[in-house]
Amino acid sequence: MPNRGSTSEREAAGAGSRAREARAHAIEAEAIGSIDSLYRTALRLTRSPADAEDLVQETYLKAFRAAESFAPGTNLRAWLFTILHNTARNRARDKAREALTVDSDAVEQAAEGAAPYGAFGELSRGDTPESLLLRDALTPDVQAAIDALPDAFRQAVWLRDVEEFSYAEIGEMLGIPAGTVMSRISRGRRMLFERLQNLRPAHV
Amino acid sequence: MSKCAFIDSLVTPYVDGELPPDERNAVDEHVVKCPPCRGRLLAERAVRSMIADRRRAMCSERASDALKKKCADLAAPRDDGATARQGGRSWEGGPAWLGGYAARKRAGWRSRIAPLSMAAALVLVVGGAFLYQLTASSSRVMAAELAADHMKCFAMNNVLGTHGTADSVESAMASGFDWRMQLPAGDHEGLELVGSRPCLYGEGRVAHIMFRHNGTPVSLFMLPKTSRADELVHVLGHEAAIWSVGDRTFVLVARETEADVQQMAAFVQASIR
Repeated sequence: MPNRGSTSEREAAGAGSRAREARAHAIEAEAIGSIDSLYRTALRLTRSPADAEDLVQETYLKAFRAAESFAPGTNLRAWLFTILHNTARNRARDKAREALTVDSDAVEQAAEGAAPYGAFGELSRGDTPESLLLRDALTPDVQAAIDALPDAFRQAVWLRDVEEFSYAEIGEMLGIPAGTVMSRISRGRRMLFERLQNLRPAHV
Repeated sequence: MSKCAFIDSLVTPYVDGELPPDERNAVDEHVVKCPPCRGRLLAERAVRSMIADRRRAMCSERASDALKKKCADLAAPRDDGATARQGGRSWEGGPAWLGGYAARKRAGWRSRIAPLSMAAALVLVVGGAFLYQLTASSSRVMAAELAADHMKCFAMNNVLGTHGTADSVESAMASGFDWRMQLPAGDHEGLELVGSRPCLYGEGRVAHIMFRHNGTPVSLFMLPKTSRADELVHVLGHEAAIWSVGDRTFVLVARETEADVQQMAAFVQASIR
């Protein structure tokens, strides 16, 4: 087979592909470093270890396929979380179940009714909520209360308070504006407060 | 109390320390005068710091080593077709390539394929490879992508509710893929035809024929101008049987047992031409 292109052209092409390869390896290594937090978040989304494992695998598969489209310098972990949530949403649609695709406004209005602001008014007399909650809420109780939140609020609170993403990053992941992210975090936290407070009425 | 509306969108960034000073002052001034808003703000802050205090304990769940290995393998697919073909266990927990299957002699599809796949390999070496740009060299990656397409297309089908007939699928295959095939008439071996879709894969299109096997989605993909060693791959919770005839590669994907997938693949190979 005759050579096509000069030696230097081929060397340049080789160097380019080596650089691409090196970058791909760096991205892969960094991406695998996020697997624990992706898996934990997948568990919150699927509520089943087997489904969470599947979801994480599909996330990595898509991420590696799309590695070229990842913009260097941006947050790789946030990008992976975006893929994870998009995949989870598609799967929820696959199952044609309404649980994850409920109209979010309806969810938020329902939560509004469940946790009126006035419910916390009494706490400003005497003990602060901090002292009431921090005293002895057990980690498993906190975890269970988070898991019991409706999907929209659980995702927002989890991504903010446990995975520590910015509002903008969370908005990207969930496909909602940053303002909606904040209101979901807000309502999710208030619902948690209500639930955890009710766990131990004897102390109040 | 109507002044409380303005604080609505500010409480969370206030608690998170993300408000600029002027807005922060406005919130401070308001909550001093408004016990319900102060209660709300303190409650949010309490929950935030409570989770922060327990964050480390809440992050104790970790991905298993097996999952880490699987995901790392997706990142750097080694061209391990040879080991897979020889019966190597390519994925932890996954089935060995046709492990024990040939020995059990349940069906003859693999032995029937053997001479064909040698011819197919020749096509690949001589000039098939550049005709169809594959996204990766590993059959496992291909199987994983097709398994993802399998899930996606069935989800679409659940929404659209399309139902193809044998005639419509056959003519779509002939016009779209120059593939003059014949589907077995009626239901066979519990395989019921659902329909067909053209799917995108790599640089080209692949034919996707959807069936249900006792209700479970089953996909048959046909990749034109592609040749692969025959292989059985466990991926994304699915089994994928891969075989080639001439310059067409077939991949049958289903979330069923290894044995069921092999049996269906054998049936499909014998009945669809």
